[in-house]
Amino acid sequence: MKIKGQQTLTTPREQVWEALLDPGVLARALPGCQALDPVGENHYKIRMKLALAAVQGLFEGKILLQDVQPPNNYKLHIEGAGKVGFVNGEGHFHLEKLSDVETVVHYEGDVRIGGMIASVGQRLMDMTSKMMIRKFFVSLKEILSEQ
Amino acid sequence: MATTTTPTTKGFVGKRVRRTEDPRLITGTATYVDDVTRPGMLYAAVLRSPYASARISSISIEKAASLPGVSAVYTGEDVKAVGPVPCAGSMPTLRVPHHKILAQDRVYYVGHPVAAVVAIDRYVAQDAVDQIEVEYEPTECVADPEKALESDAVRVHPEYDDNVAFTFHAEGGDTDAAFAAADVVVSERVTVPRLAPSPMETRGVVAEYDEGTEELLVYSSTQIPHLLKTQLAVQLSLPENHVRVIAPEVGGGFGSKCNVWAEEALTCFAAMDLKQPIKWIENRRESINVVAHGRGHVDHLEMAASKDGTITALRFKILQDIGGHHQLLTPIIPTLAVIMIPGLYKIKNFTADLTGVFTNLPPTDLYRGAGRPEATYVLERVVDKLADKLEMDPAELRLKNFPAADEFPFETATGLSYDSGDYAKAFNIALENVGYDSFLKKQEKARSKGRLLGLGISTYGEVCAFGPSPALPAGGWESATVRVEATGKVTVMSGASPHGQGGETAYSQLAADALGVPMEDVVVIHGDTGKVHWGVGTFGSRGTAIGGTAVHLALEDIVAKGKKYAAHILNASLDSIQFNQGIFSSNEVEEKLTFQELALEAAVAQKLPPDTEPGLSATRFFEPPNFAFPFGAHICTVEVDGDTGQVEILRYIAVDDIGNVINPMLVDGQLHGGVAQGLGPAFLEEVVFSEDGQLLTGTFMDYAIPKAKDMPWIESERTVTPSPVNPLGAKGVGEAGTIGSLPAFVNAVVDALSHMGVEHIDIPMTPQKVWNLINERSQS
Repeated sequence: MKIKGQQTLTTPREQVWEALLDPGVLARALPGCQALDPVGENHYKIRMKLALAAVQGLFEGKILLQDVQPPNNYKLHIEGAGKVGFVNGEGHFHLEKLSDVETVVHYEGDVRIGGMIASVGQRLMDMTSKMMIRKFFVSLKEILSEQ
Repeated sequence: MATTTTPTTKGFVGKRVRRTEDPRLITGTATYVDDVTRPGMLYAAVLRSPYASARISSISIEKAASLPGVSAVYTGEDVKAVGPVPCAGSMPTLRVPHHKILAQDRVYYVGHPVAAVVAIDRYVAQDAVDQIEVEYEPTECVADPEKALESDAVRVHPEYDDNVAFTFHAEGGDTDAAFAAADVVVSERVTVPRLAPSPMETRGVVAEYDEGTEELLVYSSTQIPHLLKTQLAVQLSLPENHVRVIAPEVGGGFGSKCNVWAEEALTCFAAMDLKQPIKWIENRRESINVVAHGRGHVDHLEMAASKDGTITALRFKILQDIGGHHQLLTPIIPTLAVIMIPGLYKIKNFTADLTGVFTNLPPTDLYRGAGRPEATYVLERVVDKLADKLEMDPAELRLKNFPAADEFPFETATGLSYDSGDYAKAFNIALENVGYDSFLKKQEKARSKGRLLGLGISTYGEVCAFGPSPALPAGGWESATVRVEATGKVTVMSGASPHGQGGETAYSQLAADALGVPMEDVVVIHGDTGKVHWGVGTFGSRGTAIGGTAVHLALEDIVAKGKKYAAHILNASLDSIQFNQGIFSSNEVEEKLTFQELALEAAVAQKLPPDTEPGLSATRFFEPPNFAFPFGAHICTVEVDGDTGQVEILRYIAVDDIGNVINPMLVDGQLHGGVAQGLGPAFLEEVVFSEDGQLLTGTFMDYAIPKAKDMPWIESERTVTPSPVNPLGAKGVGEAGTIGSLPAFVNAVVDALSHMGVEHIDIPMTPQKVWNLINERSQS
């Protein structure tokens, strides 16, 4: 499934960049994230609870950040698997400086799910992913406002 | 061949007798596999691949095995010695990839069994399945049969050069010459999506190994207990006389249980390994995912004809999606489409080229109709196109191409000999019942007001009542034993294995009439290799024509034997003995013997003639000389809602000829169910996979099977042309409705939109698809 969108944050670009690459911030902002631990440079282990339709489960996997070009661009690669299937995806993030205190986060990606969650929940995937992205940015904004 | 619309009736045969099976089925007292319990029984669950194509780099079972209540965890390595899941195909080009009961180093489709757990209950077993850690290395996959044939397609089985599972060519006459001489040529490409058979009862197995007798007892929800017994003995290297298979109550199969499944051998292997009884019950998600899907075709048919509407030749191309590997009959099923491609028409020339192609999808195999719905669908679509091109009435075109009633047996270009029929008669009744001419006027009038009415015709012919044996991989006969107990009660044992059709009722009717006993005195035993000595099974609409005939022959033997005993006991000549309504009598003596009295005499054996043996029992096999060929005409009228694309069936007319009928109520039930399973794919059913082989229709929320509200009232009528290939004159009815209904519906919808230039719509014709088409056409 292709994902594409943008969000405008009233935060300077460098601060957004730091937040997006901060495992502590991501762990709090990612919906269902239970742990996000660095295992190397730009390489994290993640444990996440995901619910799609009637199926929910714990996913364990890894996140890799590639082509990191502060404070403009990075690519994110995620692989996770659990009892109910797997989730794989790539995303590209681009931070656009709108003004000194405003940043637009452009994101674009492709998510693939498989196993039971695909056979049961595919039709709700679009809706669920939009909801998760919305929740992510709501949390991110909250975290940024605390800073 | 004489044709009559009223069957001859005598006693119970031919009457709408209520099903003897039903009281136990509707009161919850029937025993299905999941109702079977054995002392100390454990439960199995299967781990399945979430990937369509992957290498298995490692499997770690420690966590699963250490869960309290877990008895064993098996992986591919553990079951290596178990023989492969059998495939009965034998065409020279056939590639049979290895098919172990659990994946070895690779998985070929989502749902491929990877490991199994045996535990104290289902829940612990499932929890343990979730604890098995498998590391997969996903590889590129191909989930589309047409893409799988492209030269750069990734190979499902790297050991082969390409994804071709087999090719099959057949021809008759001189097709090229007929096409060269043709006045008109029409063609169509149709796709027939995969269908999930979805029996109400999913698959299930209980296996128990007796260490003392070294006997393996297997309960399985199967249509073929006897064949399964042989196959399990081979797979598990057991002497066959140490294996007993019981098919208890079976809650529907539709062909999906005419198979030998990995999970059957797997459950047996575990029961033998652990020396404990084990139950495995498939869940609904597994059923939709891995129970061999039906259909999965891309078909192309080209038709040549002369100006006057005589169809002269066919060129048929079939692409059969095989899936990741074969099941029992996978490669054989599409060959049935090849041999039936001429349908009911006198087409002298044909060529057919069939290609089976491996994909990273679950296997396909037989499902109600098996190959014949696909052939009938594309044929009847193309016949309509020809009518359109010739500007000829589609009914007239069909009538023109039928063989006449006096041309039977009719030899087809595909090498079959149609046993008997009067195709025009059944078709004319259907036209009359629908009010053909007046509907066409009504349609025209409605069109002028913007309403979209359509009428769709389908005629169909079916090859069924399988045997004869040379045409089948495992014998086409059936056996029956009739045993008359000392008290006069009658036990009928059949090698057929009815699973919802009402075979017990039909066989009881035969026995009650033949022996002059009440139906309540008859018990029919089937589906137990320990009780019934030989059998093939129930599939291919053979339960009555083949299984019933074996019963009929055994009953005849009983009567003949009874007459011999009666003549001796009554002191009368054998020729003078009459047997009528359960009484043996002779015009030579006054004394009579009831059937029950004779049964007792046969058992106590004090007054039997010297050249006979005691016991009133007979066993007969029936081997048919040919298939039987039911036929019929289904006509459907529809109204399409131009604003929503919703199709409403206005009327559904079915005129079927299935030969002689033993119980019209059973036949109606079979036809109604058949029509439902033909209409389902016409506008609802389709198994959908994503490009990466993920199943997207994994529950009944997404895989839409028809409900009562989706079904039309079926106006059913029958003509009766007895089949000459068996003494009952029966042809077979299990699949007829499924074959006739799909094309009737599709042709009706296309007809409703034909004035917009619509020539074809692929199934399932969802409202969205129909609406889009209407919208496009009205804008252009």
